[in-house]
Amino acid sequence: MGEAIERFFATLPARAPAVLRNPIHGTLQVDLTRENRTEHWFVELSPGSVRVLREQLPADATFTVSMDLFERLVTGRAAGMAAVLRNEATFSGNVALFLLFRRFFPDPPSARDPRETARAHLGRSG
Amino acid sequence: MNERVSILDGNTFLVSDERGNIEPSFDFPTGLFSFDTRFISNWVLTLNGEKLHALSIDDSLSYRTRFFLVPGEPTHYLDAKVSVIRSRSIGGSFDEELTLLNHADQAAEFVLRLDIGSDFADLFEIKHQRQKKGHTVPRIADNELRLVYRREGFHREAVISTGPPAEIDEAGITYRVVVGPHGEWTTRLHVATNIYGARGEDIRSTLPLGGHRSVEEIHVEQNELIARAPKLACDCEPLAGAYRRSLNDLAALRYESITLGVRLLAAGLPWFMTLFGRDSIFTSLQILPFLPELVPPTLLMLAGLQGSRLDDFRDEEPGKILHELRYGETAGFEEQPHSPYYGSADSTALFVILIDEYERWTGDGNLVRMLEPETRAALAWLDTYGDLLGTGYISYLTRNPETGLQNQCWKDSWDAVSFSDGRLPAFPRATCELQGYAYDARLRGARLARTFWQDPAYADRLEREAAALKERFNRDFWIHDREYYALALDPDGRQVDALSSNIGHLLWSGIVDESRAAAVARHLLGPRLFSGWGVRTLADDQGRYNPIGYHVGTVWPFDNSIIAWGLWKYGFREEAGEICEAMLSASRFFEGRLPEAFAGYERSLTDYPVEYPTACSPQAWSAGTPLLLMRVMLGLEPQGEHLIIDPAVPPGMGRLELLDIPGRWGRVDALGRSRSGGRRGQ
Repeated sequence: MGEAIERFFATLPARAPAVLRNPIHGTLQVDLTRENRTEHWFVELSPGSVRVLREQLPADATFTVSMDLFERLVTGRAAGMAAVLRNEATFSGNVALFLLFRRFFPDPPSARDPRETARAHLGRSG
Repeated sequence: MNERVSILDGNTFLVSDERGNIEPSFDFPTGLFSFDTRFISNWVLTLNGEKLHALSIDDSLSYRTRFFLVPGEPTHYLDAKVSVIRSRSIGGSFDEELTLLNHADQAAEFVLRLDIGSDFADLFEIKHQRQKKGHTVPRIADNELRLVYRREGFHREAVISTGPPAEIDEAGITYRVVVGPHGEWTTRLHVATNIYGARGEDIRSTLPLGGHRSVEEIHVEQNELIARAPKLACDCEPLAGAYRRSLNDLAALRYESITLGVRLLAAGLPWFMTLFGRDSIFTSLQILPFLPELVPPTLLMLAGLQGSRLDDFRDEEPGKILHELRYGETAGFEEQPHSPYYGSADSTALFVILIDEYERWTGDGNLVRMLEPETRAALAWLDTYGDLLGTGYISYLTRNPETGLQNQCWKDSWDAVSFSDGRLPAFPRATCELQGYAYDARLRGARLARTFWQDPAYADRLEREAAALKERFNRDFWIHDREYYALALDPDGRQVDALSSNIGHLLWSGIVDESRAAAVARHLLGPRLFSGWGVRTLADDQGRYNPIGYHVGTVWPFDNSIIAWGLWKYGFREEAGEICEAMLSASRFFEGRLPEAFAGYERSLTDYPVEYPTACSPQAWSAGTPLLLMRVMLGLEPQGEHLIIDPAVPPGMGRLELLDIPGRWGRVDALGRSRSGGRRGQ
């Protein structure tokens, strides 16, 4: 189990008020696979709050992804939808929950604020 | 070049030549496509080794075609002893029935051969052919040819099945049959387009809505949609024809998002059979008075996919509404940024505008309350990431120069934004209509904040910002000596001074000072912009004007419908009517189906509108155009719980009755009539 993944789940409750502003409630099972084993995480999403359990429970949606890819997702080095489109990650069940959950994924490490890019493009200092 | 015949159901579509054949083509997407992948690129029928020739085609339905064929090339005298009927339909999968008719007095043996192949090209690989990174393997089973494409976990299959006496090889199917005198023989082919998920199931079977519809289901669903729409009774035959055609096309363009499980509207055949932010919002605005139930899925999906992080490759920022979502291989493997791509500077403001307009018509306050976070995030984007230079104006500059879009407004071709003399301005560019949309979005956001979010302080702030923007805009964009608004400002705040149709969108958004509206209307209907068939994207005396230039001289029906709406808003009913008349006259030449764009030639020069060479058709916001024009002519505007009806029907159009207009008032009828004695062209 990667440290980044542990850290990611640990920070969800604190980040929830800023990220989960919709009146949506539901449960998401995140299944992380590595070789023959699967780590199960259970996430309950509510307006402004998250409850995380390290368990396998019946959920409204399931997101299945390799541990390697998930580590890249939670460190901003991969993008969730593209991974689903190339079938490296899959989800089933209520799609709205996945769309909500992906908002927790951070910026790519190299991402720039477009305003900085524009200033740099024009050779102006901030 | 051969005539092309298309059938579609949602974003599954087939484009063939007039004989029903598909042969590899790299300039135009011929083939069977589903979710941005070509599943069949070769599908050629021969009889006794000879290609067939079409006598006639029945393509009156969007999802079914019949080809009547005989052997050999066309000659003056056809005396075929045999003919073939290809009857095909599309509905998630593709079905073809082949019937062979022997017209001779004796029994005869025939060899019917269908060459079959697939390149599994992503739509983006068709113009720029590349070596596929994955591998295709043909597999033969009983009465079945399976073409399997794999690249890592990406797995697509075209499964072609048929009945005996089929002889199947890796490149096609051969039928050797003996048909009696005056007899006939029939076989069926079925092509499934399978998209596999991680567990090897077709991904559509695990989604809430199944992805496959039968032809019967399509028929029923299209008829239901058309039955729900208001009924039109009018003297104007082109309008009646265009309305019927539009409803059919809108019904046909609905598709089920493969990953999202909701029904959305594809933007246009063949290049744009997917979700676009801008196109879906404009189409929704056009069809709201007619088919309001098509709007919430679009709003919910755009909200669900709203930008949440900074991502240079996708031009994504928090709060931004997407530009384009694709489902194919190049999106998945990040060779193209459409997963989704956020490179549009207008969709975010337009999203707010649509939410407000939707509520005004339907009274659906629940949706407004549910989407409050996304609406606020969209409004916040206007003030932050959208305002690249801190000037108070929305501008754009892609952070993905390789595969991103240079121009991120609706005129998104590379040369669409220019100075009057043809020079191209530097980036970032702040085009004028972006500021208009941002103005309107703030005012509409203020209404939502006050009425639904109980946040009058925020509403006041938005209104103050809108008022300040309007004042600033009228100072900075107005070209005094020419009496129109500049197309854009360059990064130094210089006016990009081309005369363009964009000024019509300014009327629609309400950012134009009352005192200047008449001058804007005069330009729109003046000889430089108005061709007689509509308003050109760029005036005919500008440096880059080209009557067949995609965004630099052609006439776009959608653009004209928004301009007509804008003219009406400022009280220019006659001018709006002139555009309605021009568009509807043009639609007659396309059997009621307005294309994406047509050439900017003078009406007096050509007598008919010349279609843009590679125009998409049907296209959603062109199909929506006749609907919005009807709203404009009848003067339909929701006010509180009522629908205001204030008709101004152009001269010569006669009676115009629209019955059962749905909305928060239940259903009401609207009636308009040209003023008596009115003459055409007055």
